[in-house]
Amino acid sequence: MAAIEKTSAPRSGANTVIGSSIVIDGEISGDEDLVIQGTVKGKISLKESLYVESSGVIEADIETANVEVSGQVTGNIAATDKVELKTDCKVVGDIRAPRILIADGAMFKGNVDMEVRESKGK
Amino acid sequence: MATLDGSTIIGESILINGSLNGDEDLTVRGRVEGTLTLTKTLVVEQSGIVKAEVQVRNCVIAGVVVGNVTATESVEITKEGRMVGDIGAPRVIIVDGASFRGRIDMGEVDVGRGERIGRPIARPAPRPALRAPAAAKGGKKEEAKGKAEEKAAPGKPPAPPPAVGMGAVKRKVVVRRK
Repeated sequence: MAAIEKTSAPRSGANTVIGSSIVIDGEISGDEDLVIQGTVKGKISLKESLYVESSGVIEADIETANVEVSGQVTGNIAATDKVELKTDCKVVGDIRAPRILIADGAMFKGNVDMEVRESKGK
Repeated sequence: MATLDGSTIIGESILINGSLNGDEDLTVRGRVEGTLTLTKTLVVEQSGIVKAEVQVRNCVIAGVVVGNVTATESVEITKEGRMVGDIGAPRVIIVDGASFRGRIDMGEVDVGRGERIGRPIARPAPRPALRAPAAAKGGKKEEAKGKAEEKAAPGKPPAPPPAVGMGAVKRKVVVRRK
């Protein structure tokens, strides 16, 4: 199942792709899906989905609606909808989201908070 | 719009603030602020805004670039492109309609003529920027001379150009033939 999601086909329509040789140090924000195959340090805030592909390395705090991690993430993840840790991903940090999925084979270290606090906002 | 593997696209709603380094082509449709270093080609599309110190191999500007651009090969400002900043590149292409303000350094020029030619390169470049509004109203006189490719369009510019600019434009023609 994870393998199916890993293919880049469904994401080919994504507007923003950070390629595997790219290193970004700073802040990324936006209103659209973001696919990361490279390295991002700093902060990511999106209103849509973040896909960290298997070659992707993130050292950043993440605020999005959805996150799918197949690569490495070091930092706290806050999602308004869902966080999905796929097989072979490595995540270190706290996760806060109403829905959190951790697949078999995923490596994760940190706190999980599924409490829904939508009324309070972020 | 297709996303090829190994190419990076910054979508329209995306803002990147900080430094961006990479070894692959980069297409910017959104905003990038800070520093941008690539070993390949940067394409700033029409919706793209780059406010950064840019170091790349090739640069194609169809959007907006504010900041200095250093390219090891070429910098091209297309007719939609707008740029403010200095350009350092062995090849600089500024097409009709492009808007540019800043200096251009194409590096070492022939010793015999280099000193004379080196300066005019820096001056004519702003001409398209200043002439662009006039061109839209039908005054293509300056660009026709500057580009040496549009001989027609005998419109009259609304305001007479400064004498320095005229000289600079003429000298630019010499440079281009060289």
